[in-house]
Amino acid sequence: MPQSASVSTFRDTNSARDLLVSLFRRNETVLLLCLVVLIAYFSFASGSFFTVRNITNVLGQASLAMIAGIGVGVLIIAGEIDVSIGSLAGAVAIPLVVIMNHGGSLELGIAGALALALLVGAINGYLAAYLGINSLIVTLGSMFVIRGGIYLYTGQKAIPDKQGLESFYQIGNGRLFGTVPYPALVALALLIGFMYLMRHRPFGRKIYAVGGNPEVARLAGFNVKRIKFLCFIISALLAGIAGILLSSRLGSAVHVAGLGFEFQVVAAVVLGGVSLAGGVGSLFGVALGVLILSFLSNGLGMLNLATEWQLVTTGAIIIAAVGFDEMKRRRQ
Amino acid sequence: MSEITQPVTSTPPVRRLAENSPIVLFGLLVILCIAISIGSPQFYSVENIIAILRQCSLVLIIGAGMTMLLIAAEVDLSVGASLAFAGVVAMDVTNQTSNVWLGVGAGILFGGFVGLVNGLIVTRLKVNSLIATIATMMILQGSVFLYSRQAIQNHNQLPAFTALSTGYLGPVPVPVVIAAIVFAGTFVVLRHTVFGRYIYAVGANRQAARLSGLKPERLTLLVFVITGLLTGLSGLILASLMNAGQPTAGRGFELTVIAAVILGGTSLSGGRGTLLGTLLGVVTLQVINNGIIILGWDQELQMVVPGVVIVLAAYLDLVRRRAGAR
Amino acid sequence: MPADLTMSAPIATSYAGPALEMTGIGKRFPGVLALENVDLTLEPGKVHALMGENGAGKSTLIKILAGVYQKDAGSMRIGGAETAFKTPRDALRQGVKVVFQEIALISEFTVAENIFLEEYPTDAVGSIRWTTIRKDAAALFERIGFGVDPAAKVGNLPVSQQQMVEIARALAHRARIVVMDEPTSSLTPKEVDLLFAVIRRLTGLGIAVLYVTHKLDEVFEIADTVTVLRDGRHISTKPIAAHSHDSLIQDMIGRRIENLFPRSRGPARGETILSVEGLSTSKLKDIAFEAKAGEVLGFFGLMGAGRTELAKAIVGFDPIRTGRITIGGKRLAPHDTRTGVSLGIGLLTEDRKSEGLMLELPVLQNTSLAALGNFARSGFVDEGSERSAVQEFVDRFRVKTPSLNQPIKNLSGGNQQKVLLARWLMRGLKVIVVDEPTRGIDVGAKSEIFALIDRLAGEGLAVVMMTSEMPELLGLSDRIAVMAEGRITKILNRDEATQEAILNAAIG
Repeated sequence: MPQSASVSTFRDTNSARDLLVSLFRRNETVLLLCLVVLIAYFSFASGSFFTVRNITNVLGQASLAMIAGIGVGVLIIAGEIDVSIGSLAGAVAIPLVVIMNHGGSLELGIAGALALALLVGAINGYLAAYLGINSLIVTLGSMFVIRGGIYLYTGQKAIPDKQGLESFYQIGNGRLFGTVPYPALVALALLIGFMYLMRHRPFGRKIYAVGGNPEVARLAGFNVKRIKFLCFIISALLAGIAGILLSSRLGSAVHVAGLGFEFQVVAAVVLGGVSLAGGVGSLFGVALGVLILSFLSNGLGMLNLATEWQLVTTGAIIIAAVGFDEMKRRRQ
Repeated sequence: MSEITQPVTSTPPVRRLAENSPIVLFGLLVILCIAISIGSPQFYSVENIIAILRQCSLVLIIGAGMTMLLIAAEVDLSVGASLAFAGVVAMDVTNQTSNVWLGVGAGILFGGFVGLVNGLIVTRLKVNSLIATIATMMILQGSVFLYSRQAIQNHNQLPAFTALSTGYLGPVPVPVVIAAIVFAGTFVVLRHTVFGRYIYAVGANRQAARLSGLKPERLTLLVFVITGLLTGLSGLILASLMNAGQPTAGRGFELTVIAAVILGGTSLSGGRGTLLGTLLGVVTLQVINNGIIILGWDQELQMVVPGVVIVLAAYLDLVRRRAGAR
Repeated sequence: MPADLTMSAPIATSYAGPALEMTGIGKRFPGVLALENVDLTLEPGKVHALMGENGAGKSTLIKILAGVYQKDAGSMRIGGAETAFKTPRDALRQGVKVVFQEIALISEFTVAENIFLEEYPTDAVGSIRWTTIRKDAAALFERIGFGVDPAAKVGNLPVSQQQMVEIARALAHRARIVVMDEPTSSLTPKEVDLLFAVIRRLTGLGIAVLYVTHKLDEVFEIADTVTVLRDGRHISTKPIAAHSHDSLIQDMIGRRIENLFPRSRGPARGETILSVEGLSTSKLKDIAFEAKAGEVLGFFGLMGAGRTELAKAIVGFDPIRTGRITIGGKRLAPHDTRTGVSLGIGLLTEDRKSEGLMLELPVLQNTSLAALGNFARSGFVDEGSERSAVQEFVDRFRVKTPSLNQPIKNLSGGNQQKVLLARWLMRGLKVIVVDEPTRGIDVGAKSEIFALIDRLAGEGLAVVMMTSEMPELLGLSDRIAVMAEGRITKILNRDEATQEAILNAAIG
């Protein structure tokens, strides 16, 4: 029966094409492609780009934004936003370093840092999720308050780490087998953990539901306020972890640490395909968004372009990416 | 229940207060002034009041544009970066041409150009204005350094340039005169012109506005350009105040402006807000800042207080909206 | 209670007595008594219709049943046991599922995931069993005979299928009482038949169905018993056989409305004002028609026939592919509402909230929006003349509002619609396109809107009316254009238009 055979082959090619089309519709595929092209380009353009040393360096740098980006990504998927993460990442270094300077252990310092993050997350979450104040405003406010608090406490100077614990140095600067930076390992572990949470735990699905349609989520019996509150806590804790690693890299509590960090992170998250409207996006996309921006800025540095070019290109890429995405959506 | 006309119920006092935010804000301002002057009598000195007014004028000039933008349901976070860049451009052109007026024109036009670009990105590419202007903020912050690594000094020491900020018109400082003109103009536009009414309509319901024959994209674009021009103007005054074009000036200024506008009762969701509220918001924030200084408190509190105030203002706005939605 | 959907398990268990008994239910909101002493009894395996005008208390009652609101007074018994729901989840646990008009599904999720939204099946460590979800959903659909793909994204499905998903969700949770709120409001007749078949299958399983609607025909087709509410009070509960159309209407509105469609004008004799030729868009194909001054040209079509698309295309709101639209001899630039309005064509939208009203703004601004130019002197608004002109329209249309400064969100649907109509009349139009002009408006205000439309045509406007309500169409139109699948299939004169002729043309 040649006829039916030809029909079935036709169908096969059709479904293969469908698969390809649907693959390309997926945001992550496009981003991955962009990342590959970017890396390929810089590898050609600069001899020192595609080396183990440089790639692992970039991964180390990217991991801070990735850790914070996971938290912000989760929060934006839940339909809220947090722009206080930059100030918070700077602020957690203070309890960390001060506790160590007073003879405390690294663990105690980290506990202090995370306690501060927890407190900030709880306050942001209470104001935004429970009182219902617009989260952009709430976190813009706490961004001011925290940064002001840092300046007040430090008198606009860095607080050096006096004890000089080796373990404190290692968490931000150490490398597994001398190659993979510890922060990258932390970021990878968190990424896998949160991807699992968002895809395979009821709680993760509830976060998507709450961001996608809060009314439906409420009717389904979800505690919308509590879920959003917990997302603020997640965002703050991850920003805290990023801040701890940052302070280890800086070797002190620097009063201007994390300035502008929130914008970089939000930009990477949006570039990664997370919709500001909530309910749409994936953490894998967020990871790709962070990597693209990190490799871009590193590559431009390699090409001996002024560091300011990185800001300019990052901004341009965000506009292009979001504009393109918007165009695609309108066409459908 | 949507079909039933709103029942008249007695409103609790907190809500009633929240519904009259300009009055509350004015009351707050009066209390603040009294409190500060008790702590430090020099609060009422002419020098201090002029200092406050001068500070206010910088914020108010951009705040007027930002108020229009928020009413149109858009936002511009690039004003801080644009402010610095416009100052640099104005100073540079003044130096190159030895003509203050060319510098002034260049600074203002630069701001307008940034506004135009923002507006085009938002209306043509349909990028959310929050994200779009974060991106242009990055671009401006980067490119201002590519333009000039250090502050551009007033090489020719043209007195006319410094007069823009330190000069007086009669007893009134020049920036205050400029701010007053901008305020009056924007006030009239928002309150009494067709254009102003259209801005409210676009912010309140974009589709309804379009269906009624308005061009929301064009109106939005225009408001972005106006905000840009005003940012350029403000950048110019700032450069004159510092007697230099400083690339790092204006960091975080966008947040101060937005805080003042929201404190003045303009809603983030569009369609609601008044310029009078913005004026009160600006003055309140600057009086607080001034109070912190003359009472000898830590200057760093100048960051903390607006942060608290902005959240509080948003909360009052929320209470007010819920009161209306019953 | 994780759903057990193996083929052997019974989908529902029925009770010996009534499935649900509500007696003396009361609910009060600040300033309003929404329900007072309402009784309702649902029998297993029966369809009980709940009827009433907007504001009669239907939605309050079903929200109490859904666990969204809590009753203030009265008692509620399920299968004989006293109960109360604190949350929607409570209601579901006790076997009550409400399918709201606004579909309560997450559109980004698959059909299968939506079915298990309330109770994700999880394994020992708490991970979601995705394979179980897929398999069980497929099994459930096969068993109840729904042709819906469990792997499809809900947002990509038509509304009718989304409704099926909601019902399947009820079955997955072994609901014994299913409440449907205006389920046919956006279905085609074919889909309505399918829905009724599903309802019959539900009752066959012993499930009690509460069917909330305002459509009389459906009640006579599907219901066993009817309860009517009015102004939050229980008016009557009778077997459907004891009712006639008139008696049901009388129970609902409490008075007889003799003529819902007061037609005061004579036959239209004006000249052609609007002409559309060869209009095509992505949804419309080769549309051509003319409308004369002083006539109401009715457009009828089933869901998806393209009425709203046509309305938006001819006023310039949506882009078109080809075609020519002329108003009073002047050609309209496509996709440009501004020249449309200035040539004198405007649209009274079917979606008041998102395309008509500026909810936060006062009645004044809402009324004068399109006509603001009339009150402008070199760009400035002359507020005195604006206010008096608006006041004139508010009086003439009998808009019930405490003042012109009242935010329009506080007005009723009927009064909001009058304001939107006034917005256009103030502008001075030649052609007004009205899309479902009485959607979401109660019976009393409906006849006022009809009278206004009638008067407009009488004053020489061309009225193009898109509607899915047959009585409205037949009562008001001079000519009737019937649409199917994006085309005009027939244009009928008033005297040749019968329900049968129209429906035949609409099925295409």
